[in-house]
Amino acid sequence: MPVSTTPRPALRGPGPSEHPGDPAQATLESLGRSVGAPAPGTAPAVEVTDLVREFTRRRKSPARALNGLTLSVPEGEVHGLLGPNGAGKTTLVRILSTVLLPTAGRAAVCGHDVVREDRAVRRLVGVVFGGDRGLYTRLTARENLEFWGALQKVPARLLRARSSELLDRLGLAEVADRRVEGYSRGMRQRLHLARGLVGEARVLFLDEPTMGMDPVAAREFRTLIGELRGEGRTIVLATHDMAEAQALCDRVSFVRDGEVVATRSPHALTDLAAGVEFDDLDDAALALLTDLPGVTEVTVGQGTTRVRTDSEEALSSVLATAVGQGATRMRTLQPTLEDVYVQLIGDRGLKV
Amino acid sequence: MSNASVVRHAFRVGARDYSTIFTWKTWLGAWFVRVLAQVAFFALVGRMLGSAERTQYLLVGNAVLLAGMVGMWAVNMVAWERSTGTLPLLAASPTHPAVVLASRGSYLVADATVSAAGALTVAGLLFGVPLPWARLPLALPVLVLVAGSAFCFATFAGGLLLGFRSAQPIVTNVAVVTLMALCGVDVPVDVYPAPVRWVSSVLPVTHGLRAIRLILGPAPAWEPILVQAAWEALVGAGWLAVCLLSFHAIVRRGRRRGTLDHSS
Repeated sequence: MPVSTTPRPALRGPGPSEHPGDPAQATLESLGRSVGAPAPGTAPAVEVTDLVREFTRRRKSPARALNGLTLSVPEGEVHGLLGPNGAGKTTLVRILSTVLLPTAGRAAVCGHDVVREDRAVRRLVGVVFGGDRGLYTRLTARENLEFWGALQKVPARLLRARSSELLDRLGLAEVADRRVEGYSRGMRQRLHLARGLVGEARVLFLDEPTMGMDPVAAREFRTLIGELRGEGRTIVLATHDMAEAQALCDRVSFVRDGEVVATRSPHALTDLAAGVEFDDLDDAALALLTDLPGVTEVTVGQGTTRVRTDSEEALSSVLATAVGQGATRMRTLQPTLEDVYVQLIGDRGLKV
Repeated sequence: MSNASVVRHAFRVGARDYSTIFTWKTWLGAWFVRVLAQVAFFALVGRMLGSAERTQYLLVGNAVLLAGMVGMWAVNMVAWERSTGTLPLLAASPTHPAVVLASRGSYLVADATVSAAGALTVAGLLFGVPLPWARLPLALPVLVLVAGSAFCFATFAGGLLLGFRSAQPIVTNVAVVTLMALCGVDVPVDVYPAPVRWVSSVLPVTHGLRAIRLILGPAPAWEPILVQAAWEALVGAGWLAVCLLSFHAIVRRGRRRGTLDHSS
C-alpha cells in the first residue's frame, strides 16, 4: 500500500525535570544578596491559580482580561504563552512582574505572592515588555544598563563588568557607548533583553521579545534563550511567533479569553492537530470517518480529503477505518504549532 | 547596592536630558537672558516708582523666585517618565520609583540655584542696587533650600497630575504665579489676611526669601536668618514626605487600575 508519511517533528531538548540545580540562585548567593526565596526546587517558579483581572470602563461593564487563569511553571522551564491579541498574555505577565494587581485569585513567583510579597518578587524577576519604549534614549546602552542594574541592587563592583558582558553577549558591544536614540528598533529590543538580565533574574518574563528584530538577530536571540535555560533560569515567553515557541519552549500554554485552554510540550500539542490526507476517499468512507470519536475536522478539497484528530489514538482509528474502506493513497499531515493554534483558538480573523 | 548609587545614576539620566536641551552657550544666550529679563522687568517697576528700597525688594524677590520657578519644572518630569514607558519598569524594580524620580530631577535644584544667584548678581550690578556682595555667598545655601523645597512640591504636584498631561503646563504656570503672589516676592506677606498668610507659610520660597532678605539687609541678625532657613528646610522636608507618600499611593493606584504604562 503506497502510504507516504512525513516525519514527525523532532523531540524538543531536555524537559523541565532534566535541568539540574539552579546556578542563577548560586550566582545571587555569591553576590551576597539575600533574595529571601525558597530554596530552588521547593516551589514552582510561577504558580497561578484562578487568576482574574478586570478593567473598569466608563459606562460599561468591566472588561475581564483574565478569567480564572491557572498555570504552573516549574523552575528551569522555558514556557510559552500563545494566544491572540487580547487573550490576556500581557496582563498575566504584568501581574507576575508586579506592575498590575489581580482582581481575584492568586499568583506567586518562586513561592512569593505577587500582591503581599511584591518586593521579594521584584528582586527575583526580570521583565522585558514588547516594543521599543522603556529606555532612556539620551543615555548610552551602557549607561542604561548601569542605571537599571543599580535599581536592581546589583553591587557596584559587579555592575560595570556585568553590563559589558551583556552588551557583548547581545551584540551591542560596538555601539555600547552610543546614545540609544540612534538605535534601530531591533537594537533597542536587544538592549531591553540585556536590561531584563542585568539583575541576574531567576525568572524572566519576555513579552514579544523579538518584535522588531531582523531574522538574524531573532536567531541569535533564540540561541541566547537556550543559554539562559542552560543556566537554570525560568523563562516565560509571551509570543505570537509559533516557530519561536516551537523552537524555544519546553511547554506552551494556549491562552484564549483569559483562560489557559491547553498546556503541553510543543510535540504533545501537535498531537492535538494530527491529521491525514486522503486522495481517494469515497462518500461512504467519508461518512464513517466523520463520525469517529476524536475527529475534529474533515475538509474536502479538490480530490483530497483532510481529516484532523485530537490524538494519536484517534488518528490510528481513522487510518484503520479508511484502509478498511479501501483507501490506498494517503499522507499523514505534519501538524505545526500554528495548526494547533488555529484549532484551539479558532480563526478570529482580525478580531481582538 | 545602596540608594546612593541609584541617586547617582538617576541624576545622570536627568543631567543628560538637560544637556540635550542646553549647552553652556544656549544656557547663557537664551535661558539666562530670559530669567534676567524677568528680574529686570520687576526691578524697573521699582525704579519707576522712584524708590531704591522698592527696587531692591522687587529685584531680590524675583531673583529668589527663580529658584522656586525652575524647581517647579519637576511637575513635568513624572509625565516624561510615563511617556517614555519607563514608569512600569521602575514600578517593577526593587527600588521605589520616588527615589528615582527625586534623584532624576535633582539637576533642577542645581540649575535653579545657579539661575537665581546669577540673576541676583547681574541684575544687582545692572541696576546699581547696593547689595552687600561679601554676604552674597551666604545666600547660596538658602537658594538651594528654596529650590529643593520647590522641587519636592512640584514632584508631588506632578504625581497628582499624572493622568492630566494637558493640564501640566497650566498648573506649572499657575503655581509659579501663586508663589509670586503669596510668598513675599512682590508684595509683603503681611498685607494678606491670616488664612492666606498660613497658606504662604507652607509654600516653598516664603521662608527662604525672608532669610535672604535678612542676609542682604542692612543689619543681618543670624538667629532669625537661621530660623527662616530652618523653616524653609522644614517646608521642603514636609513636601518631600508628602511626595513620597503620594508616590506610594500613585504606584499602588496604577497597579490597581493598570494605568502605570499609559503614555498620556
